[in-house]
Amino acid sequence: MLALSFFWLLLGLLIGLLAVSAQCWPASWARKKWPALLCIGALAAFCGGWLGTLLLGRFFASGVAVWLAVLCVVVLPWLVVWMQKKRESLSPHGTRRSD
Amino acid sequence: MDQPSEKPIGDATNRGEQEQKHIGPISPVSQRTVSSTPSTRLTFGVIAARFMLALLCGVSLFLSVLPAGHVAARTALLVAAVVSASEPAPLLLLGDPVQHIQKTIPSPEGTVYLDIYEPATPVPLLPGVREGLVIIPGVGDNRQDPQLINLSLALAHSGIVVENITTPTLINNDISAGDSDAVVQAFTFLSHWPGVGADRVGIAGFSGGGSLACLAAADPRIGDRVSFLALFGTYFNAETVLRAYGRRAITVDGHTVPWYPSQYPLQVLADVMADGLPPGDGSLLVSAFVLGGKPLIGKELMQMSPSAVAAYHLLKGDEPNRVQENIVALSPQLHTLLNMLSPSSVITKIHAPIYLLHSRDDSSLPVTESQVFAATLARIHHPYDFVQFGIFQHVQVEANPSITQLLSDAPSLFRVLYEVLLPGS
Repeated sequence: MLALSFFWLLLGLLIGLLAVSAQCWPASWARKKWPALLCIGALAAFCGGWLGTLLLGRFFASGVAVWLAVLCVVVLPWLVVWMQKKRESLSPHGTRRSD
Repeated sequence: MDQPSEKPIGDATNRGEQEQKHIGPISPVSQRTVSSTPSTRLTFGVIAARFMLALLCGVSLFLSVLPAGHVAARTALLVAAVVSASEPAPLLLLGDPVQHIQKTIPSPEGTVYLDIYEPATPVPLLPGVREGLVIIPGVGDNRQDPQLINLSLALAHSGIVVENITTPTLINNDISAGDSDAVVQAFTFLSHWPGVGADRVGIAGFSGGGSLACLAAADPRIGDRVSFLALFGTYFNAETVLRAYGRRAITVDGHTVPWYPSQYPLQVLADVMADGLPPGDGSLLVSAFVLGGKPLIGKELMQMSPSAVAAYHLLKGDEPNRVQENIVALSPQLHTLLNMLSPSSVITKIHAPIYLLHSRDDSSLPVTESQVFAATLARIHHPYDFVQFGIFQHVQVEANPSITQLLSDAPSLFRVLYEVLLPGS
């Protein structure tokens, strides 16, 4: 499983690179977008691989790792930004600043 | 999202403005050239990368979540494993590690020997997610056969629990209809195996094991639970096999062509027919067809019953013009015995879809048997598929098949393996 775990991490890094090429980051992400996408890809593929192993068995785990990594590098950055904006709009500090 | 793609354009425009200040006004044509080229390249790269991401996501989602995808992934690696007679590297890396367990279970005909190959990883959390396959690997003791072990390992690496079964009768180069009960017991045993879905178990019969697979699938105790029946190089009717042996010829597409059986199936059929003959006659018949056995002489034939003599000539193939007479001369007991061992006698009682695979140049059981089997299934509107191969000799992959043969047979093998594994998924 150790070799397969490294394989999933590598797969996730490659998907992260592809996401960088595809510019899958929100406009507000000015800095550190490359490392962030690579980390998201690697982590998602790793977790997806283990989740796939637990649910479907090892044979289909790599498939789960791939689609979960793609989904995460595409959706997660936008989700983070959306949550930040939502938090800012709810926070009293944000209200005072706008005043 | 498009901010980075806009930045170089802005930069280029700024550069253009700076140039304008230093070297004076520039034409609109040159402005357009400076600003549009980097933007176009960037857009193509982004689109290609996004397309790749979407493709990766779609394909992996299909292969890992949908049943059809599961089967496609398994089948692709299984075809590679079967054709190369070895385990491909991706299967070893991505597949489950395998453990081999030997067990015995009782049956009315004697002990049933089970060789179980299963994924060694913990049972997946989704209940009954694993598929089960009972393999009857033919007559004789094939448990150590390298190609059978390779197939079992490849199936188990892809998450299928494989149960190879054999019985004392099969090990003694004989087939008995009573052994179908052993298959029923083995099927029930596998249905209760941890992680195996009770409705995801199929039966595969190789060579003479195909008849036992059919008899078991027709058994009312398990008939409705068998998800598929795969028969590789098997026969449909034992009496028509005997005719082909007697004639030393088969009829393909209306043309009679010479056909010479190998020694081992003659020995097996002699053993089978000996069970329906008086003990003395049976022993003489068997002695003539064992490996290294000598043909019976006139004196020995005179001692035998007419039924045993007819059986001898049919197996020996020395009276090709008297095949019909010799068939008629067989005793009613022998006719009953041959009929009981024929899938043709139970075909209407089988509910599972049937997949027939046969080698075109099979020298153990003629390909015409599967052709007639398929024609009968088509006539009674039973779900089936039939594929003929050139890369196999009987049920073994040939040592060095040609590339053209591989290319022509691999798609057919993929199709039939896909169909075989789909009902269980």
